[in-house]
Amino acid sequence: MRANSAKALVLPLAVLVAFEVWARATHLQSDSLAPPSEIVMALFGAFADLSILTATRDTLFSAFAGLAIGTTIGLAFGIAFGISDTLDRLMEVTVEAIRPIPSIALLPIALIALGFGYRMEIVIVAFACVWPVLILSRAAVRSIEPRLMEVARALRLPSAQRVWKIIIPAALPRIFVAFRLSAGIALIVAVTVEIAINPLGLGAGIMLAQQALRPDLMLAYLVWIGVIGYALNVLLVVAQNRLFGRAALSGDGA
Amino acid sequence: MKKALAALAVSMALTGTAFAQAKIQVGCTATSDCASAMIAIDEGIFRKHGLEVEMTPIGINSNIPAAILSNSIQIGGPTSTVFLQAVDGGLDLVAIAGATIMSPVSNGNITAFVRNGITIKEPKDFVGKKVGAPGLNAFLHVLFVKWLVEKGVDPKGVNFVEVTFPTMADIIKSGGVDAVLTAEPFVTRMTNAGLGSVGARYAVELARTDPIIFYAASREWAEKNAAAVKKFRDALAESAAIVNNDREKASNSISKFTKQPIELVKATPPNRSEPALKPEQLSWWIEVMSSQKMLQSKLDTSKLVLK
Repeated sequence: MRANSAKALVLPLAVLVAFEVWARATHLQSDSLAPPSEIVMALFGAFADLSILTATRDTLFSAFAGLAIGTTIGLAFGIAFGISDTLDRLMEVTVEAIRPIPSIALLPIALIALGFGYRMEIVIVAFACVWPVLILSRAAVRSIEPRLMEVARALRLPSAQRVWKIIIPAALPRIFVAFRLSAGIALIVAVTVEIAINPLGLGAGIMLAQQALRPDLMLAYLVWIGVIGYALNVLLVVAQNRLFGRAALSGDGA
Repeated sequence: MKKALAALAVSMALTGTAFAQAKIQVGCTATSDCASAMIAIDEGIFRKHGLEVEMTPIGINSNIPAAILSNSIQIGGPTSTVFLQAVDGGLDLVAIAGATIMSPVSNGNITAFVRNGITIKEPKDFVGKKVGAPGLNAFLHVLFVKWLVEKGVDPKGVNFVEVTFPTMADIIKSGGVDAVLTAEPFVTRMTNAGLGSVGARYAVELARTDPIIFYAASREWAEKNAAAVKKFRDALAESAAIVNNDREKASNSISKFTKQPIELVKATPPNRSEPALKPEQLSWWIEVMSSQKMLQSKLDTSKLVLK
């Protein structure tokens, strides 16, 4: 480990140790806090009985399925709106009316219409993921170098090929940034849906642990969700750099 | 690879629905109230009567009516207040069997716990205080307001906020609220931690024996599955006796479902199980909730409970 990253770890570790000492010294009795050592033990316990792994599978399945659907829809509309000014103007009111609805506000309707399970969660995650991709890909398509579009016209490419051969490749680095943004949202929304209603996955694990008066287990789930979120982001950043190299940086800066 | 993933996704989705169809799902919150169903599963009583039953933990009681209507669960354990408000709001639910009723034991478990530095000598001392209830317009809140009214105190003078059970101890400790409407095991835990004292035993003073939670289903499901409902009732008649008489078995089943540590569950007697439910048992709740302006329509008790 490099000296710099080791140094960066000193503060969080010191805080954890201090919290542990304080919790032990004051005989902390709480239904929402637990000393770090107990949280670690609870995390091991949850791995040992596979409960946290099942929950992780459920959450990630819903998050990724919702992300895939939401991104596809967002991308399709984003590119369409980016290409056609008329369509964009016609749809603006509709989009701006639906977009501000917090995805979580759909929960009561989704529960009655779809019931518990993957379906409801996927629909809500998809709804949340559509908008960043739609807005950013629309902007990405609009900011494509005009000369590229001139080339497309000069080559008399049919519109399907123009999208496939010119627009998507040129806008891809920025679209990927939108995808990264959506991936983070997907995980947040999936866990929130589980905390609020859906009895599966990591969010439900948190709720069940809280109601079982197991703050150690509840915080263990929280730590684990943090780890997953971190890993997901690292994975996507690496993928972005591998796939787009320096082009990705220009997308990030936009 | 893609195909394999797709196949996995499809198989997960299919097994999910297949299970839902084969078994009756009973949804309850993490309390002892559905203990009769828990025991009937653990002791094989449902199976003996030819029923396959599985329990689904539900985070918040007020989600149960929606969960029933979406057929995610076929039977749920709503509190009387949640059920009556759902029916009042137009959801076609029907009670099919009793779960728990208020009794001297369960009433004794319910208190208003007051933080250190606050003294409550009489009901009107609650005026101007910030009182945390686990759910606004939910079971304990409605009971407490009824008690205030009976004692001649205007509930409007009390500042109610929502505080969930697991966060009560910490919020009382920090002084975020002056009192919480709570129940065992939280009362003992907070008393032992020296966080305050019992300010009022309002449920003991009300001394009611009305239902706390009962099993409910959609009318459509209950009428289509009359035979299953009968078997469900027969099984509960057997398991309720175990809940009321065998603390050991009851505690084990409750701990298994709620995942609460067994010592904690054993420390508190479960609420009294009462599998029979008569329509007139709901009239007190209707009267109390109407007087608190929680119901809009006039509910007909004879239609609320399946014959």
